[in-house]
Amino acid sequence: MKAAIGLALLFFVAIALTLVVGVRDAGIADIWNAFFAFDANDPTHAVIRSVRVPRLVAGLVAGAGLGMAGTVMQAVTRNPLADPGLLGVNAGAAFAVVVGALLTGYSDSGMMAALAFPGAAIASIAVFLVGGARSGAGSPIRLTLAGVAINALLLSLVSAIILSRNETLEIFRFWVTGSLAQANTRPIEAMFVALVLGAAIAAVIAPRIEALALGSSLARGLGTKPGAVQLSALLAIMLMTGAAVAVAGPIAFVGLVVPPLARRIGRHVLRRELAVSAVLGGAMILLADTAGRLVVAPVEIRVGIMTALVGAPVFIFVVRRMKPGALT
Amino acid sequence: MSGVGSGKRIAGGWMLLGGLLVAAVLVSLTVGQIMITPAELLRGLMTGSGPGSLTLRVLRGPSTLTAIGAGAVLGASGTIFQILLRNPLAAPDVMGFMSGAGCAVVAGVAFGLLIPLPILAAIGGLVAAVLVAGLAFHRGSRQSPLTLILVGIGIGFFASAVSSFLVIRMPPQEAADAQRWLTGSLTARNWGHVLQVFGLGALLFVVLALQVRAMALLELGDELAAGLGARVERARYGLICTGVLLAAVGVAVAGPVPFVAMMAGPLGMRIAGVKHPASRLTAAAVAGATITVLAEVISRSAIPGLQLPVGVMTGIMGAPYLLWLLWKEVEAGEV
Repeated sequence: MKAAIGLALLFFVAIALTLVVGVRDAGIADIWNAFFAFDANDPTHAVIRSVRVPRLVAGLVAGAGLGMAGTVMQAVTRNPLADPGLLGVNAGAAFAVVVGALLTGYSDSGMMAALAFPGAAIASIAVFLVGGARSGAGSPIRLTLAGVAINALLLSLVSAIILSRNETLEIFRFWVTGSLAQANTRPIEAMFVALVLGAAIAAVIAPRIEALALGSSLARGLGTKPGAVQLSALLAIMLMTGAAVAVAGPIAFVGLVVPPLARRIGRHVLRRELAVSAVLGGAMILLADTAGRLVVAPVEIRVGIMTALVGAPVFIFVVRRMKPGALT
Repeated sequence: MSGVGSGKRIAGGWMLLGGLLVAAVLVSLTVGQIMITPAELLRGLMTGSGPGSLTLRVLRGPSTLTAIGAGAVLGASGTIFQILLRNPLAAPDVMGFMSGAGCAVVAGVAFGLLIPLPILAAIGGLVAAVLVAGLAFHRGSRQSPLTLILVGIGIGFFASAVSSFLVIRMPPQEAADAQRWLTGSLTARNWGHVLQVFGLGALLFVVLALQVRAMALLELGDELAAGLGARVERARYGLICTGVLLAAVGVAVAGPVPFVAMMAGPLGMRIAGVKHPASRLTAAAVAGATITVLAEVISRSAIPGLQLPVGVMTGIMGAPYLLWLLWKEVEAGEV
């Protein structure tokens, strides 16, 4: 109960800060009025509605997607270092969108964003094949290194494509680290639908993933088909990660930092963990984004850099906590 | 008899390795937006005038030579760690030392410190190495190579994030240049870079030559090495320092180019067919130079009218190698 109240409090603080903080200071009254007594001539209202609300929703979609995707990945692979960013799933989604834009010449429509899903799926399959995760619990180091390699390959290709098209530095940065700066230009509504779909699949298969964690032979005895569960998990990861990348670019580390906290708060029941991950992921992205706008204002630090500054030490912490024997 | 045969095979391996480097250099000097024939290059070299001379002195010579130097120091650096940790994944690029060096350079530039780049890079690399060793320490027991590599990856993530953070605060044009440099770049190198990488590189290779005997002993295992009179810990720390400094010299002239240090050692060893540390280091230096020169020429001629940073190319070349390395282990069932 205490945890639930704390979580709710954190979530609302994150939302409030996202709406309030910015170049133009907005008070709680401004925010209330922007929603319930909108005045088209008030520039503060305009900023809140056209810039900060899209940013807020994009942050929540991305955070919830990456947080839940990380929790599903960690539950399926039983690897505390699994994260859609670090394992190259984000990079796969970003790569597919950028290649789509290159081939068709469109800069970035909703159709382009839809390519994020197959991109995420192909990268997931590749990383799990090379990482050896198909034979049950893959080795954390191999999975991590496979992610490093796939990330390096895909992000190098993304850089090459973007640089060759003489795009702006801003676009380059969006597709390499992730950002909420142009949230109002992203297809947020469609991606929200995809996120909900992915979350629903994850919630449905959650008990079966837990059964698998007991060992595949035992799970089979209980009537669970490992292949079907893994495929559904892949589908859920694809939908949630694809949605996140389409609205906010390839943000890393959210799916690494959130799941261990969710495990603790959700007390090791995967469905509860998923719900907690969605809330925590959203809060983490919004807080990181707000901090990024404040630290060296007026310059804005992209949310992907902020999550990496927090996430990299967490990565080292998780490695240190793993027993040396558990690495191979 | 077999000794003579393997000697011949090794000689053939060295010739192949050297031949590849010469070929790569020739390609690098001749290919580009304007094609230059080898005859023109030779004429330029002899007479000191004409398009061949301009290519050698200004347009491509310095970048190619810097690529050779940077590749050589990175290759040797990678091999030192691969031998010390007995793991093909142990390399200054994978383990975050090069990101650390790059981060220190960016910090120096961002804060306007008047410290030469190689010194900044060396400080950054050494700090990263100390952090990796310290954080991988596990309740008194000796650090396992895998923990070291994973913690190193984490340090690399952190250093890159700090670098990006610092870059954002720079003025736009400077930020674009810094971003490019952080990917690894050999665009528009001058003779100052050449002198720097060959001068410092030669110095460190001399130091490394003095440490090779100890390295060969360490390869036998700590106990045996100590029994044969090696001061194990001192030798190890010395080699780590040399390895980090070699990587820092590479970073100072070319930025933190990924995967050259990791790829060069195994590639050189395989082509030359050698096992002894001294030969492995030499082969890695030649292979590293070849890889970097090739990556440089591809990165500036793959897309007409556009110079990609060389690091984009080594990323595209190195990642499949890493995936293959991991895949091979899956096949071998070494879970």
